[in-house]
Amino acid sequence: MIKMDEARVEKLAGYLRDRRIKDRSVGDVMALAEIMAEALQDFMQTFDQTLYHELGEIGREIAEMKTEIGRLRPGEIRSAHIPEAGRELDAIVEATEAATHTIMEAAEVIMEADGSDADAYKNLVDARVIEIFEACSFQDITGQRIGKVVETLQAIDERISRLTDRLSVADFVDAEPSEEECAREKRKRELILHGPQHKGEGVSQDDVDAMFGPASQDDIDKLFD
Amino acid sequence: MAVDTSMPVLVVDDYKTMIRIIRNLLKQLGFNDVDEASDGTEALERLKERRYGLVISDWNMEPMTGYELLKQVRSDASIGKTPFIMVTAESKTENVIAAKKAGVNNYIVKPFNAQTLKGKIDAVFGE
Repeated sequence: MIKMDEARVEKLAGYLRDRRIKDRSVGDVMALAEIMAEALQDFMQTFDQTLYHELGEIGREIAEMKTEIGRLRPGEIRSAHIPEAGRELDAIVEATEAATHTIMEAAEVIMEADGSDADAYKNLVDARVIEIFEACSFQDITGQRIGKVVETLQAIDERISRLTDRLSVADFVDAEPSEEECAREKRKRELILHGPQHKGEGVSQDDVDAMFGPASQDDIDKLFD
Repeated sequence: MAVDTSMPVLVVDDYKTMIRIIRNLLKQLGFNDVDEASDGTEALERLKERRYGLVISDWNMEPMTGYELLKQVRSDASIGKTPFIMVTAESKTENVIAAKKAGVNNYIVKPFNAQTLKGKIDAVFGE
């Protein structure tokens, strides 16, 4: 720890001892301030240098972080990668919707068709089956689109991983979620919204049937074993 | 005794395609009087306008989910006894238990087939 010069402290103490008078003038206060400033000069100089070095270090760290974040190219992610992935996903939804519509329409026509004339019925079914095959070609295109979205996610993942590695950033597990996140999570929790489960993760229709069957409590209990 | 297929059925789902699938399957089973709603709020309005013999509802919908709809239906004396089948991709055990506690008559996990739908309708009406 930096200490004030002993002689200067003594001078300051002496001044205060000598001036125990009731009426202090402005001059006295100024003189006291001058002595105090002198006494603190060395301390402040040393302190300034330490502070200057510390601030310099922080500045360099911030500059390095800015460079690393710049290498992440967040602008490009925001303006190109994310919108492009969004467009691909929208196109997938549109394509699957259109294909589903075509397939269902063909099936509905077959379902409604009059089967009394066998030849006419066969022709109608053949034509509609071809439409169904054609509609199924959406799978190839959506597969390619999904591939592009996966590529985008991988690119973002690589950049973020590189950044966190370089900056040695650990997950801040105690970080408070935003209000919006909290509200979303609360709704999901209260309304038990998990969404579709992967194969083998959720209960099967047989499990559900068991819960609605006569021995339902036992079957429910089995599900918790 | 066979299930009365002339009863009006309300299908609730936010996906038009799923409503269309269920409507077609019901048609195959002989149910021709089918109305639709795209979420719980709309379904409640329909239920107050008309007496339905059966409600077939999805779970995950905005703004009112099928689970909320089920609880609302069961808490309203005028429509509280309407048979209710949940048809959903929500397949966690806690979902099934919650729906059962709330008074659902049966529960179908998506994807499902015509036979499953028929089986559950028969079960609800004691066939």
